[in-house]
Amino acid sequence: MEYVIAVFIGLLYACGVYLILRRSIVKVILGVFVLSNATNLIIFLSGGIQRGGAPFIPEGAETVDPATISDPLPQALILTAIVISLGISAYILALKYRYFDVTGTHDLDQLKNTDQR
Amino acid sequence: MILFALLLIPFSYLMLGLLIKKSGIKQRLALLFATVNFLWALALVPIVQFREIIVVQMGSWAAPYGISLVADRFSVLMLVVAAFVFFLTTIYATQSVDKARRKNGHFFFSFGILMGVNGSFMAGDLFNLYVWFEVMLMSSFILVSLGGERQQLEGSIKYLILNLISSLFFVAGIGLLYGKLGSLNLADLSQKMASATDNLAVLNPALILIFVGFSIKGALFPFFFWLPASYHTPPPAVTALFAGLLTKVGIYSLVRFYTLFLYYDHGFWNEVVLWMGGLSMVIGVIAASSQYDFRKILSFHIISQVGYVVIALGFFTVAGLTAALFFLVHNMLAKTNAFLVAGWVHRERGTLNLKVLGDMFNKSPVWGILFFISAFSLAGLPPLSGFFGKYLVLKAGIEADQIFITLVALFVGLFTLFSMVKIWMEVFWKRQPEDIAQPAPINLKPANWMLFSSVVMALAIVGMGLWAAPIVDYCQLAAEDLLTPSKYIDYVLGYH
Repeated sequence: MEYVIAVFIGLLYACGVYLILRRSIVKVILGVFVLSNATNLIIFLSGGIQRGGAPFIPEGAETVDPATISDPLPQALILTAIVISLGISAYILALKYRYFDVTGTHDLDQLKNTDQR
Repeated sequence: MILFALLLIPFSYLMLGLLIKKSGIKQRLALLFATVNFLWALALVPIVQFREIIVVQMGSWAAPYGISLVADRFSVLMLVVAAFVFFLTTIYATQSVDKARRKNGHFFFSFGILMGVNGSFMAGDLFNLYVWFEVMLMSSFILVSLGGERQQLEGSIKYLILNLISSLFFVAGIGLLYGKLGSLNLADLSQKMASATDNLAVLNPALILIFVGFSIKGALFPFFFWLPASYHTPPPAVTALFAGLLTKVGIYSLVRFYTLFLYYDHGFWNEVVLWMGGLSMVIGVIAASSQYDFRKILSFHIISQVGYVVIALGFFTVAGLTAALFFLVHNMLAKTNAFLVAGWVHRERGTLNLKVLGDMFNKSPVWGILFFISAFSLAGLPPLSGFFGKYLVLKAGIEADQIFITLVALFVGLFTLFSMVKIWMEVFWKRQPEDIAQPAPINLKPANWMLFSSVVMALAIVGMGLWAAPIVDYCQLAAEDLLTPSKYIDYVLGYH
C-alpha cells in the first residue's frame, strides 16, 4: 500500500509542477492546490499507515502495541494544514478574480511590469 | 504567561479590531497595543538574563507532547527588535498610509503579522513554527495586495505563489522528519538526532526540504526572486514593515535550525550555508547597483545583507554567531529606516525613480541626514551600527580561517557603499532634472509623525554604534547558548 500511495504522491507532484509552470494564472493556482494536497499525503504516508488501526487504547488496558494502531498525530497535522490551505485558497482565488477585474488577462506574461530587468 | 502575553496582545487587538468600526479609535488602539507589546518584550530582557531560557508549556502538557513556547536570549533579542520596529512603523503608518487603506484594515493585518512574527520567534516545535509562519504570511499576503492597484496585484501574485511553495517545502520536510524521528518538538528532535549520528543521511531529504523552505522565506541566493519583484509594490510603510520583519523570521529560523539540527552534519551543511550566503551577498549587491528605483535598490540590498548574517552563521564560532546576531539587529533597524525615508520621498514627489528625483536635501535637510545615517550605517561607516556589524563579521571570518569569504564580504561592502552613494547623489544631492515631467506629490501635509518615527529609528542606529559593547556582550551570551544546544534541550525537556 505504501508503494501505491508513494507513486500516487509522485504523480500529484508531477502534475502540480507541470501546472505551476503553465502561463495561465488559473492553472498555476490549481497547481498550488495539487501540490498542497500532495504534501498532505506525504505527511500522512510518512507517519506510517495502518489498515483499520484506530488509535484507541482498549478499555482496561494500560498500554497498547504501537505497531497495531495508526499514529493520530500526522492526521491532526494534515487537518491543520488543510484548514490553512483552505483559507489561502479562498484568498488566492479572490486575488485572481480582482486581478482579472483590473487587467482582464489570465496571462502570467502580463506580470512583467514589476519584474527586474 | 510571560511569553503567552506576546501572542495575546496582538490577538486581542485583532478581536477588538473586528468589533470597533471607527478608524480613528482603531488607530489609537493600534498605537497603544504596539507600545504595550514593545514594553512587554523589553521586560523579557532582564527575565531572560536571569533565567537564561524561558520555557512555557501551553496547557501544562509536558514538553515533547505539548506545545512549548521557548524564549532564549536570541529569541528575546529578536522579539524586542521586532517589537521596536513594529512600534515605529505603526506610528509611521498613521500618516504615511492613505485613509482608505487605514480604514480597511492596514493596522488589523499588520497586527496579524506581529502575531505571526512573535509566535515564530517563540515556537518550540516545528509544526507550530509552520503555523506561525502561515499566520504571518496570510496577513502579509493581504497587506501586500490591500488597495488593489495593478502593480500591487502583480507583485502580490508572485509573492503569494512563491511563498506558498516555500511553505509546501517546509511542511513536506516536517512530515518526513516526523516520520523518521517521531517527534516535532525542537529540543526532542535535536536530542534524537544526537543519538542517531551514524545514520544522519536518512534525514537529509527532510532537512533539505526544510532548509529550502527557510531559504525562500529568508530570500537567500537561488530563491530570492519573489522579494525584489514584490517589495516595491505596496505602500512604503508596508514595505518598511516587511523589510524589518519578514525575511528576518526566515533567517531566525535558519539560525535556530542550524544550531539545533544541521550542525550534526557540519561537514556537509557548512559548505552549503557559506556558499549560499556568499552568493546572496554578491548577487544581491550587484543586482542592486543596476537598479534605478529607490525601493528596488533597497530590496536587493536586503538579499545582500541577509547574506552577511548567513556567512557569519556558517563560520559557526562564538564570534561568528555573535556577529550574525548583531548584524541581524543592525540590519532590521537600518534597513527599515532606509525604507521609512523612501516613504517620505514617495509622499513628497509621487515617485521613487532616481532619474526623476533630485534636490531633496534642500527640501528637507533633516530627512537627508536621516537617510545619510541609515544608508551609511548599511554601508558600514564607523560611528554607526553597521560598522560594528561588519567589523564583527570580518573579524570572525578571519579567526575562523575563512579568508576567501571574508574578502568577498569586504568587496561587497564597497558595492554597498556605491549603491548608497548613488541614491544619495541622485535623490538628495543632484539638481532637480528640469526636462522630465514630474508626477504630482501624494500628500503635502507636514509629516511630523513620520519624521518622529524615523528620527527615533536613526537614534537607535547611532546608539547601537556608540554603545555597541553591551549589545555585543548580550549577543555573545546568546551565541554561546546557541552553540550549546544541550542547554536548550535540558531547559525545554525539563531536565534542568
